[in-house]
Amino acid sequence: MEQFIYYLKVSLISIRRAPLPYALTIFILSVGLGVFFANATFYYQLNSDPLPEKSDKLFFPMLNLVPYECSTDCRTPRVLSYSNVEKLSQTDTPSQAAAMYSADGYLRQRADQTPLPVSIRITQRDFFAMFDVPVLHGSIWPDNSARPEVILTKATAEKLFGKSDVVGEKLLLDDRNVTVSAVLDDWQMLPRLYDANNRNHLSEADDIYLPLETGYDMNYLSNSQSQTFDDTDYRQLSTQGRTGALHQLQYWVKLDTPAQQQAYRQFMTNLVQDEKAAGRHPSPPNNQLVAMRDIVSYFGGDSSDIKAFALVTLLFLLVCLFNASHLSLNRYLSNQYEFSLRRALGASRSQLQLQMLADVLIMALFTISGALLTGYGGIKLMNNLLPANRLFSDWDLTLLLGLLTVAVICSYLVTLYPSLRASFGSLNQQLKE
Amino acid sequence: MIKLTNLSKIFRTELIETHALRDISLQINEGEFAALTGPSGSGKSTLLNILGTLEQFDDGDYQLDGKSVKGLSDAALSKLRNEKIGFIFQSFNLIKDFSIYDNIELPLRYRGLKPAQRKQRIEQALELVGLHARRSYLPSQLSGGQQQRVAIARAIAGQPRILLADEPTGNLDSLMARQVMELLEQINQQGCTILMVTHDPDQARRAGRHIQIIDGQLSDAVLYDPLAAQSA
Repeated sequence: MEQFIYYLKVSLISIRRAPLPYALTIFILSVGLGVFFANATFYYQLNSDPLPEKSDKLFFPMLNLVPYECSTDCRTPRVLSYSNVEKLSQTDTPSQAAAMYSADGYLRQRADQTPLPVSIRITQRDFFAMFDVPVLHGSIWPDNSARPEVILTKATAEKLFGKSDVVGEKLLLDDRNVTVSAVLDDWQMLPRLYDANNRNHLSEADDIYLPLETGYDMNYLSNSQSQTFDDTDYRQLSTQGRTGALHQLQYWVKLDTPAQQQAYRQFMTNLVQDEKAAGRHPSPPNNQLVAMRDIVSYFGGDSSDIKAFALVTLLFLLVCLFNASHLSLNRYLSNQYEFSLRRALGASRSQLQLQMLADVLIMALFTISGALLTGYGGIKLMNNLLPANRLFSDWDLTLLLGLLTVAVICSYLVTLYPSLRASFGSLNQQLKE
Repeated sequence: MIKLTNLSKIFRTELIETHALRDISLQINEGEFAALTGPSGSGKSTLLNILGTLEQFDDGDYQLDGKSVKGLSDAALSKLRNEKIGFIFQSFNLIKDFSIYDNIELPLRYRGLKPAQRKQRIEQALELVGLHARRSYLPSQLSGGQQQRVAIARAIAGQPRILLADEPTGNLDSLMARQVMELLEQINQQGCTILMVTHDPDQARRAGRHIQIIDGQLSDAVLYDPLAAQSA
């Protein structure tokens, strides 16, 4: 240890000898790594799995059950009608299932107050268990029947009441009376894969939750995607929405085993065949059962801009690495005399490599500091340029450790070749000069 | 202690081969103070570098303490240099931003000595060269003669078996040169073998043994005197 502290001291003296080239090396490496860090943050967060324990068990079924005969474009609709969901719910194969859509509304305590605009997730009770939504106060609806009850996020409760424990409080949702049945704890599922359609998975979670049946009764139409394949009046959701071909529901099922998944696929096939036999399915069958982890790419919602940036920043990092190595080589060669002297006095190449490790450590410390600063600035800049990705700019421990490892490896690469070159110089020639 | 048998060294470039040393056979015994002289380019520094294992040889054999150094690994050669050989260079070769103490400590560090052992050896070496009071000075704060005494202290701190000095007084005035020579004689009297390259016939005469090298070969000729050579 005492010897390694000595190596660190020698490294610092060597830096003091030519601080400017060293600072330039650190600067180049910090900029390259910082830009890489910033992009890697978004890339990592956008591609992270928010539910790693169950994402391979959650599936998004889609059916081509529409009263419409397609000729050229026979893609399965991304959303289902109420009656489609009813039919898909006729099996108990899934351990959990929830249909959902989102809408906008206004919430207030009394009619004389200014209403608070809120985003509403209109869904069923299994939603909360399927996506591990934490409950702070109260309880989730006991079944999927209509009830004038809402579940608030903690932030919404605090905005409206100034506190979170507001179970049983009355509210006006678009001037209709509802009661608070539960308050959720702080929660953000990132990315919000249950709503990947139209790249909604990049946005924040909704403010309040309303039972699906109540949402239909209250005539809430989807604010993200709805398609009508017949003459259903979308304004009459409460009366025509449940029977007509008005598609606006996303449906998620939890299939715990491969056998259950196979059974559910078979169920979907049988369902389509029955519908076809009944004359309600003129289009060719095209069932889809997409796993949660594949849903973004299925919907074509991959962040191609981030992917392109990732490639560019990687190339930029390589260029920076090359330049920093070149500067480092010059610095080491100008110190080659000292390497030769140390070798002449009895230092082996392996001992000189230990000296190099001390150099790497110091360079890594400076580089990590610079790269974190640059990376932080880069993230702020990207949040301005691409505000849609704003939620994905946080550093977690895994990401930080990964980034630190990259910084140490880069510092090692920048030091390795130059120090090897310097330690393999001709001893007598260097000492004569 | 040192035994060279038919040792040869050839420097090769793309166009020419230069025989720096040809069939050198030489024995230097323990405790000897030998002066190595010869005209510039005669191969004396090359011989010294080979003896110090700073340079490889092409043919022949070199035995140090009865063991051949041929084919030794880098680590083994480093250990050999560190433990058995002390170097004194013409241009002192001190690290300019290290204190005198730190410069002398350098070879002891690589030997893995404990701090207390290092300190004791450095103190002894500094006492011997008379620079104990200036242990925290930087080399640039010392005169040329003092710097060379620091280099000598560094060379002897490791208590080597042999001291190789390449024109140790080449950059010094006559007074400083005399002091350095007296110091080397003192070290030799304590039992350390010394081989010194010099151009100065007076210094060569002070050594107990004189080895002359001309055109890469040992010569039996009388002591080479550059002044005499110039007038002739």
